[in-house]
Amino acid sequence: MAIEILRDLRGLRIEVMHPPDSEGVSLAEHLLRIGCVTSTVWPLPDELDVASDLVFVAVEHDGRDALRRLFACRDRGLPTVIAVVGYEDPSTLQLVLEIGAQGVVERPIRPFGLLTQLAVARSLWLRQQGAGRQVRRLERKLAGSRMVQRARLILMTRDGMSEEEAYQTIRRRAMSKRAGMEDAAADIVDAHKIVRVQTHGE
Amino acid sequence: MVLTPGARTPWRFGVLFSRSGVTAAVETTQLNATILAIESVNAEGGIRGRPIEPVIYDPASNPKQFHVLAERLLGKDRVRLLFGCYMSSTRKAVLPVVEAYRGLLLYPTLYEGFEYSPNCIYTGAAPNQNSLPLARYLFGRYGKRMLFVGSNYVYPYESNRIMAELARQAGGSILDEIYVPLDAGPRDFAKAIREIGRLRPDVIFSTVVGRSTAVFYEAYRQAGFDPAHIPIASLTTSEAEVAEMTPQAARGHVTAAPFFDTLARPAAERFVATYRHRFGAGSAVTAAAEAAYFQVTLVAGAIERAGTDELDFVRAALGTLECDAPQGPVQIDPSNNHTYLWPRVAELDAQSRFRIVWDPGVRVRPDPYCVDQRWDGWPEQAWPGSLPLPTQVQ
Repeated sequence: MAIEILRDLRGLRIEVMHPPDSEGVSLAEHLLRIGCVTSTVWPLPDELDVASDLVFVAVEHDGRDALRRLFACRDRGLPTVIAVVGYEDPSTLQLVLEIGAQGVVERPIRPFGLLTQLAVARSLWLRQQGAGRQVRRLERKLAGSRMVQRARLILMTRDGMSEEEAYQTIRRRAMSKRAGMEDAAADIVDAHKIVRVQTHGE
Repeated sequence: MVLTPGARTPWRFGVLFSRSGVTAAVETTQLNATILAIESVNAEGGIRGRPIEPVIYDPASNPKQFHVLAERLLGKDRVRLLFGCYMSSTRKAVLPVVEAYRGLLLYPTLYEGFEYSPNCIYTGAAPNQNSLPLARYLFGRYGKRMLFVGSNYVYPYESNRIMAELARQAGGSILDEIYVPLDAGPRDFAKAIREIGRLRPDVIFSTVVGRSTAVFYEAYRQAGFDPAHIPIASLTTSEAEVAEMTPQAARGHVTAAPFFDTLARPAAERFVATYRHRFGAGSAVTAAAEAAYFQVTLVAGAIERAGTDELDFVRAALGTLECDAPQGPVQIDPSNNHTYLWPRVAELDAQSRFRIVWDPGVRVRPDPYCVDQRWDGWPEQAWPGSLPLPTQVQ
């Protein structure tokens, strides 16, 4: 909702990675004017500050390696990224896409449009975060049910159980282990693998 | 411009206010006040011995025309300073031109905030200087169930959003939100009138602008509603719009602005008297005119101090000046190019005159990005003692 985004923007912690020239200063001033908590850093740091919600980063070709390294460390998740570009050529675009920018500001930097960029980029980032969580949850679920399927198949073909009996066997094992279905099913599948190796290994 | 000894080449100020079209009435007051201020400066010897020459065009309330004429003023006529604009759509049309030519726009009109340009000085009220005090006054005096009626463009939408947010914080509610065309006629207000009758709000917040204002207030009167119980509250209904309606239609409704023609302080009385002496005894003298007036005074002072009308120097000098405007001492806030102003609320009496019903006596710092827009952000000592403080919903 538009109004929620505006509320989220107030007090947003923004890091401005930009040379401290008049454009960089004017950018930081306008972000303060909008009501964001703004800090500046240049040259590019070695690591992203975990406390930053959003980063404006000047995309310059002479710093491309440092830029790539900075945004490569994805394990803790990236903040919202808005690239500041002086060129539109494909190699600059390549950099912008590689760092995963959700928004772009072209030079010369003007105050007009920054608020909109912030709102759109942040909104996009939030949706990406939500989608990422959803995907991970579904993957787990899917993996779980695949494992349960395999275990059921083993019990049905090897031990001659019915589908329902197989399911209940896995479920009982899960309860006695105080574990999930996926866990119990994995035990059965793993045990079967070992047996097969032993059987075929000799 | 090069200053040669003895040269009397005038300082040329571009002026863009509408003499025709939907917002002509109030813009004409701004034009008049600009001329009055220029004449006053010239009567005192001008700026550094050189007179001001206004270069005036009429954009007829049309944003495209504003754009074209701004181009002419800055490109062909080579002015650096532009005094003008009322509706936000016209300011938006002019600003890119001013920015491209590194000029300065002096914008003397209340607006919806959320803007900053290094090439614009905003001398009208930002939302925290009119919407916020109006909301506090209305919620305490009439209630918190609101109905919105506005003209169909960006300013009413955004003002309504802000007012809705204030109402939400105070535990109020918005019963309906109705938009009419710019230059709406009586039939366009039929739905609004029906809804008022059906929903019976505590307050109608009107962001209808220009000559449709009188149409709306007349329609309200025809429907027989009572302003003592359901007032129309506005930021834009000024003496100019009131002059276009009957006294019966005007009576009892409320407006928030830093200036009214009845303001009883010496600088205000002098301003109104001088204005009426120059433009006619019965002339409407509006808050928009007052801003147009003091902004010329401020800029003249800045050029005097800087010795040039170049953007950077004028802007730097403006940040250092204070001027005793009709509303009170005002100054520009250089961090956002907006102006410290004195908010007030007035109610129309039976003779169509604005009676000031609340004057907090504080000068309020402009906050165009509503960074501090909290209900309790308003200074406590400004609250009128006779009115109960608004409370959260029970």
